[in-house]
Amino acid sequence: MAYVRKDAGTLTAAEKRRFVAALLEVKRRGEYDEFVRMHMAYFPSDGEAGLRAAHMAPSFLPWHRRFVLELETALRRVDSSVTVPYWDWTRDRTSSSVPWTADLLGGNGRRSDRQVMTGPFAYREGNWTIKEGVTEGAFLTRDLGRHRDPIALPTKSELKWALKDRAYDVAPWDSTVTRGFRNKLEGWGTGRGSTSWRNHNRVHRWVGGAMVSSASVNDPVFWLHHAFVDLQWYRWQRRHRGARYLPATPPGPADKQHGRIVARHEKLPPWDVTPNELEDVGRIYRYA
Amino acid sequence: MCVSNDGVPVGAEDGAPDLARPGPAGETRRDLARALFACALAAALAPVVAAFRPLGPGSPPGKAEGDTAFDQTYRGRRIRGVWTPARSAAEDGRWHVTVDGRPLHLMRRADGTWLSMVDHYCSYGTPLEAARAAVDELGPGQRLRDRVPGPAGAGHVHMGDRHGVRA
Repeated sequence: MAYVRKDAGTLTAAEKRRFVAALLEVKRRGEYDEFVRMHMAYFPSDGEAGLRAAHMAPSFLPWHRRFVLELETALRRVDSSVTVPYWDWTRDRTSSSVPWTADLLGGNGRRSDRQVMTGPFAYREGNWTIKEGVTEGAFLTRDLGRHRDPIALPTKSELKWALKDRAYDVAPWDSTVTRGFRNKLEGWGTGRGSTSWRNHNRVHRWVGGAMVSSASVNDPVFWLHHAFVDLQWYRWQRRHRGARYLPATPPGPADKQHGRIVARHEKLPPWDVTPNELEDVGRIYRYA
Repeated sequence: MCVSNDGVPVGAEDGAPDLARPGPAGETRRDLARALFACALAAALAPVVAAFRPLGPGSPPGKAEGDTAFDQTYRGRRIRGVWTPARSAAEDGRWHVTVDGRPLHLMRRADGTWLSMVDHYCSYGTPLEAARAAVDELGPGQRLRDRVPGPAGAGHVHMGDRHGVRA
């Protein structure tokens, strides 16, 4: 039977405790850092050669769906009652709201070095040493809202703007497209200022510290964020009945995107699974 | 791409984002004509240029300072960048950028802008801007690691299907 992913704001004290304990155990076992490495490895950019599976590509959504499922499976091996909660950043919008509480992910980084000092992932607790980071610091960093030049989280209307687009994605299937649900949600913008980051990207930017680096997985909020992004895919499907993952077939040999993106029935590296198989995961989990 | 320090209120919008933002308001017909001519010229040259520039961390930006190298101190950090041209048709040229002597890996977006591993979710007009943005993002006293796994390290990741998740 399908298990349920809950809104982080509705978790009971026991559910939070068990989620955190499972994360710490996955970290202790060395599995967590493998997720960090994997995400770093799957971030080639669209201005460079090679297949893009995780970002700047149609498979942004199925890739991260599968990635969150992998983590969730690791957590459930530790405690079968645990599921990945989601953070609704259109509603919980301040540095003191969910999930930044001491009983869940802990709070903001301190001003001097952005080190997270509260909660279970604070370095001084001894359970969350950063091993695969881009800086030498062994501690988790955050800069919620970007202190030096404040930005806001994406709004409900910005998210709605993405959900309204019936096209899943459009050619050339990269970070430059200005139409299509996928990039409106992933959030690669053009232009300057407020048009530069949207939805998913903007949330990484808002959290700052580790979350805005290529080692963003080091902050466990990565999973709560991506569970919410994943929920948007489900909502988009419900809103546009019959709309599917695109492209349905791979770009031809003359197309510049030939061999660089994953079409609906192609394998999504590094897994033996296709976007088609990941479009409906209703028998694995559902959202509360 | 992102603008970090020019005072543009990035958090001010409330939905209905204007992706197709027009150019500066004071643009004249002559500017437009000039721009169209430049585009036409670029289009005419594009096949020729493309033949010599394989897809990759392409040619250096052809304008302003820092065309092929930069070396400056920004917020107390030494940032240096050197463009190394391709030595053969089979190879790409590339930027080698360092912050306080440690390598800062840059990637190029399809629109020609740059992002760094420190500031990975938005991009900047030039490698120098990306390097400065990375310094802005580095916490005080924090140094880059000497060796960081990136896309090139994909072969060293062993995850595959061993966890057996099936959709």
